Amino acid sequence: MINTTTHNPTEKEAVPDNTSKMPLPTPTVSTPPEPPAIKRISDDDLFRSSSQYRIWSFTKEQLKEKREQLSSKVSALVREKIERFLAENNSQLSNEEINEIRNKAIPVNAAEELQLITLYAQKIQLFGNKLRLPTEVVATAVCFFKKFYLETSVMEIHPKEMFFTCLFFACKSENYFIGIDSFASKVKKPKDSILKHEFRLLEGLKFTLMNHHPYKALHGFFLDIQMVLMKKVDLNYLGKVYENCKNMLNASLLTETMYHYTPPQITLAVLLTEDEALCLKYLEVKFPKTAESSNSVGLYEKVVKIIRECQKDLSVSYIPSKEVAVNIAAKVHYCDDPMVVVKRLKRKRDQQEENATSIDKQQKSS
Amino acid sequence: MSNSLYSKEKKVGEGTFAIVYLGRQLEGTTVKRNVAIKEIKTSEFKDGLDMSAIREVKYLQELKHVNVIELVDIYNEKGNLNLVLEFLPADLEMIIKDSSILFTQADIKSWLLMALRGVHHCHRNFILHRDLKPNNLLLAPDGQLKLADFGLARSIPSPQEQLTSNVVTRWYRAPELLFGAKHYTWAVDIWSIGVIFAELMLRIPYLPGKDDIDQIDVTFRALGTPTEKLWPEVSSFPTYNKIKMYPAPSRDELRKRFIAATENALNLMSGMLLMNPHARWDSVKCLQSDYFTELPEPTEPSQLPKLNKKD
Ligand SMILES: Nc1ncnc2c1ncn2[C@@H]1O[C@H](COP(=O)(O)OP(=O)(O)O)[C@@H](O)[C@H]1O
Repeated sequence: MINTTTHNPTEKEAVPDNTSKMPLPTPTVSTPPEPPAIKRISDDDLFRSSSQYRIWSFTKEQLKEKREQLSSKVSALVREKIERFLAENNSQLSNEEINEIRNKAIPVNAAEELQLITLYAQKIQLFGNKLRLPTEVVATAVCFFKKFYLETSVMEIHPKEMFFTCLFFACKSENYFIGIDSFASKVKKPKDSILKHEFRLLEGLKFTLMNHHPYKALHGFFLDIQMVLMKKVDLNYLGKVYENCKNMLNASLLTETMYHYTPPQITLAVLLTEDEALCLKYLEVKFPKTAESSNSVGLYEKVVKIIRECQKDLSVSYIPSKEVAVNIAAKVHYCDDPMVVVKRLKRKRDQQEENATSIDKQQKSS
Repeated sequence: MSNSLYSKEKKVGEGTFAIVYLGRQLEGTTVKRNVAIKEIKTSEFKDGLDMSAIREVKYLQELKHVNVIELVDIYNEKGNLNLVLEFLPADLEMIIKDSSILFTQADIKSWLLMALRGVHHCHRNFILHRDLKPNNLLLAPDGQLKLADFGLARSIPSPQEQLTSNVVTRWYRAPELLFGAKHYTWAVDIWSIGVIFAELMLRIPYLPGKDDIDQIDVTFRALGTPTEKLWPEVSSFPTYNKIKMYPAPSRDELRKRFIAATENALNLMSGMLLMNPHARWDSVKCLQSDYFTELPEPTEPSQLPKLNKKD
């Protein structure tokens, strides 16, 4: 599947053919009784008809704009909500408390949302691995989670609320069924809290559940590399490369690459990072520079260009530092319930008083 | 995805996890077309959304093809999931069973071709149907045949995945499933189509086992018990040494059973009904069969026999 498609519809790029689909015969033959004028359906055409391409692929600008729109829409609502809260509680609140709320209950911006989502996506991976769920199930849970928060803000539904729903639903969607009773007891959460948002998740995903992960492409490429570079690479070494690439693919789920590149492109970019010489050698064999068929001329350069771009995008991390994460989480919390700010302020005041009196006492007793 | 676009007219059927209504797709105040609205009984499932519904949504969203039922839309109404599908009032089983309908070799070829195109589209998208039978091959008013009911579908498994062999309605179940194989591939769908092909020619079910044990017997009596020579792994199935050995039918015996079938038709059917799933023809090979290029040409879908309207 998924070969020469990039997410820029005007531009066609290529990666090697027939590699990411080992279990299947090459399905490129049109049926004889069809009139010969009918265009053959390529693997690219198939990928372009997938929901992953139709609905969940964006240019960088589109993605940025999408996030900013969502963030500014929801931020405005949150600000309104806070002003309403202040107006309703005006008589009970001191000036200091009102100021504190205005200073602390600030809506998070698009960049902060992305950081918080990435952090939770990483937690989903760690948790999924702890539960020993299959790689593809965990990957799907992460994708569900990330896609959901392209349409919904963390200020509308807290990531904690969707966390287990995504894992549970990913199990079902990937045909790895775990009953709710057993799942709930494994993750130590009430059943209802997991099931409650299932429908909302499905809607947020626009009813599209198929995720093409790069692991199949990785498998295909390695089989092909063994064939193409027979005897030129050490199998033990190749096994190590495979493992490292797989780990990098796990990490790639926490980047933006899934929105901009096809699974084989991401896989090649990972291979390029792991062993540049091997990757380029392989591509040279697949796209010989002196090819007699005119349509592969320049393909090598095109492929290398796009996977280098992808490689760059793979290196950008959105995982926040602990300090930043705490800060973002606090904002989300305060916006959700401004009264928390007041309570904290009171607690701080009480503590200060207590400290003061205890110092007083100490001074007196000495 | 707004439910105001659709109206439910009347209940037309009830499945295991859904109620199906005849509905209308509205555009403003005008009726655009009839649709089938499948209302999933969301609230009844203790494990949340039902697996069959999830599969149907997941796979139909990815499959757009004339020979696969179209998922027009999905919406939520009062906490229930509603799938809006093409309205397809007939299926191949009804046609086969209706003795007032006569159909020709060209008609059979046309239905088989459409079914294989649909299957090919699933397989090239890495999707197994796993429940192909005449009753899941629906017929549109324009004669097109459409694969429906993706409630058992799944993605083509990777080699190490363990699967349940408890799939496919009994009569259409491939031998590897009868043996309880933990791993299988697209070849299970091809087997089902092969059995349906035979049923179209015979106009009665080809391998009608009375229960799961009988199914094994019926299958091998008709087609021969697989040997290690033809299917090396077969003896590793636990039940293998308990079954009766039947000889494979000779070509002449097949000719006698399928009187009207040409040599090419028999080749194709036998290719789809090869015991060894690794040797069984894939959708491409089936579609390239000479059966489809020899005369008679497949009937134009619009010219195919239809159910006689009861009203
Ligand atoms: N697309 C459709 N068009 C018309 N009728 C349909 C359609 N889909 C299903 N039906 C009717 O609804 C019944 C139940 O459908 P379904 O839930 O798919 O059944 P099952 O569980 O038997 O597979 C079918 O037997 C058929 O009569």
